[in-house]
Amino acid sequence: MDFRFTDDQLTLAESVRDYLAGTHGPEVLRRLDSEGNRDPAIWQGLVDMGLTGLLVPEEHSGLGLGLVEAALIATECGRACLAEPLVDTAFVAVPWLVRRGEVAELGAIAAGTRKVALPHVLNPWVADGADEFPGQPLQSVDPLRNLVMFPASGSADPHLLDLGALMSAAQLVGLAEAMLHQATEYAKVRTQFGQPVGAFQGLKHQLASCAVAVEFAKPALWYAAGTLECMSSNTSVHVSHAKVMATDAAIQTAETAIQVHGAMGYTYEVDLHFWMKRAWALAGSWGDRACHLKRIDQAVIGGTLPIGPEHTFA
Amino acid sequence: MHLEYTPEQQAFRAEVRAWMEAHVPKEPLVTLECREGYDQHVEWERTLASGNWGMVTWPEAYGGRGLDLIQWLIFEEEYFRAGGPNRANQNGIFLLGPTIMEFGTEEQKARFLPPMARGEVIWAQAWSEPGAGSDMAAIQSKAVRDGDHYVITGQKTWSSRAAFADWGFGIFRTDPDSKRHKGLTFILFDLNSPGITRRPIRQLHGDTGFAELFFDEVRVPVENCLAGEGEGWNVAMATAGFERGLMLRSPGRFQATAKRLVELYRAHEAEASPAAREAVVQAWMQAQAYAWNTYAVAAKIMAGGKIGAEASLNKIFWSELDRAMHRTAMQILGAHAELKRFGNGQINQWLEGYIFSLSGPIYAGSNEVQRNIIAERLLGLPRAGAG
Repeated sequence: MDFRFTDDQLTLAESVRDYLAGTHGPEVLRRLDSEGNRDPAIWQGLVDMGLTGLLVPEEHSGLGLGLVEAALIATECGRACLAEPLVDTAFVAVPWLVRRGEVAELGAIAAGTRKVALPHVLNPWVADGADEFPGQPLQSVDPLRNLVMFPASGSADPHLLDLGALMSAAQLVGLAEAMLHQATEYAKVRTQFGQPVGAFQGLKHQLASCAVAVEFAKPALWYAAGTLECMSSNTSVHVSHAKVMATDAAIQTAETAIQVHGAMGYTYEVDLHFWMKRAWALAGSWGDRACHLKRIDQAVIGGTLPIGPEHTFA
Repeated sequence: MHLEYTPEQQAFRAEVRAWMEAHVPKEPLVTLECREGYDQHVEWERTLASGNWGMVTWPEAYGGRGLDLIQWLIFEEEYFRAGGPNRANQNGIFLLGPTIMEFGTEEQKARFLPPMARGEVIWAQAWSEPGAGSDMAAIQSKAVRDGDHYVITGQKTWSSRAAFADWGFGIFRTDPDSKRHKGLTFILFDLNSPGITRRPIRQLHGDTGFAELFFDEVRVPVENCLAGEGEGWNVAMATAGFERGLMLRSPGRFQATAKRLVELYRAHEAEASPAAREAVVQAWMQAQAYAWNTYAVAAKIMAGGKIGAEASLNKIFWSELDRAMHRTAMQILGAHAELKRFGNGQINQWLEGYIFSLSGPIYAGSNEVQRNIIAERLLGLPRAGAG
């Protein structure tokens, strides 16, 4: 029993974090917002790092890594508010295709020439799915999300839902950490009454509460990633658990971060809104809060999941 | 990430389970906060010690088993699975014991630790004073050096276990000219020493678990000082770290409460509100998240890492979870919630637990202090008044 990441996993996540911090700052989000949402150069950078092939088996020219690594990197994508469809293509579609034995397009996905957006019955639309589903575009509150209605019904496969929900949870954790950081940094420099507003307990305690919420959403995410990786029997409950806790932490942090920024927080000028709107969007994607709570409820109150102190890793 | 227990860990779990099933009292003990209950709990400490289960993480030399943190978590899971009673010697096991191991001399370790492990000496803590609660550096009780003794005069309050315990520990001002954190010394004292008056304080539930202590020229040998004169603040901070850190509240306790809450809900499903249902699901989710977090921190510590201000995140999380779980139970119980004993004579443990849970956000450093620590030390926000 060792509930920790390997040094390799942490190094990988750190390298992605550093890369995105260096190349994908808020100024990039503002440029994309005003100039058209997607930039082939950003996508190519992700391809060059090998991220599109992260979960593609080595015999199909990928890195052959697992969902724990993918969840760590999806967290970094959330932290950077990455708009390119890396997570949906490489961390949701790829493992789903691999498990179904559909390997034909994996090489192209790894090479970055093919993006895949998979519809699920729970999602009424697809993000970045215009190539496959030439339908009516929809405008999201998140200015960097390219939504399109899809014409036919999507898959109802619970494994696809689990992958999508897990990776949404991972991004929500990254979004929450980023928003907590932005609010904290703002509170250190904005002065009123002769001192930084972050010295006031009224703000401190709200931000500390967000730190608590994020801290305890993370192990739920990690455990869900670990169980989905090995397809253990109760994995859907753990994925739902991660999605609910990550959603709650992200929404709490978003609201707090706006409040900490004061009137500035209510403007389009402050970068925060990109992260907050992504959190709103992902909160309802791949199963909303009610959907996931119901799955947990059925297992815990319904009695299909063993509970109690001796079942920490059930 | 390796999510399987080793065969050795599984065998250890089976060993603990068998012992607990054979020894944990079938009926819940009377509350620790009264004479009768205290005696029952001390008896339980001695039963635990007879199986060498009293201080499992302590080194064998001091009466422990030298277990690692994963084994400790397994032990705790099985302890709470079996419904093990609260620990009368919690102050010793989790606070003073580790402090003596870190700061004590060999003589002090040999003198104090084995009787603690055997459950022979039950310890009370004596930190707070009427004017020094959250602001512990405001301590005024004095210990004046007189030859090979300190002479202690002053008052301590909210001393857990002090109504009935054998020995106490706390910090006292040994340098009369000192201010705040300086000039304080960590001293161990026999609660039956001449000059000590205990005044039990009646708590919210009407019982008397903690007490005020009045010191009137109490003579304590200097060898009862831990880590040297004037070092008290550093020692106390380390002790407080143990209190907030990993071991004071193991996850098994909350997972057991969450399970009982699920069972309570099932029994009242017909009349309970949808809000209570969601709160029950949340209780399970949070208890599990706390357990996974603890396993992650344990693995980190076993690999040489440390737990610092992060302990404040834990303390807030478990104390507010415990209160929420018991509040939910009170809501589910409805009209029955107010009964100290149900119609069938059974003690209403949810009521007792709810009352106790209200102390969680206050003791071991109030949650307001913890939020300040998180804000200042983890997030890096400035202290109040910083310009």
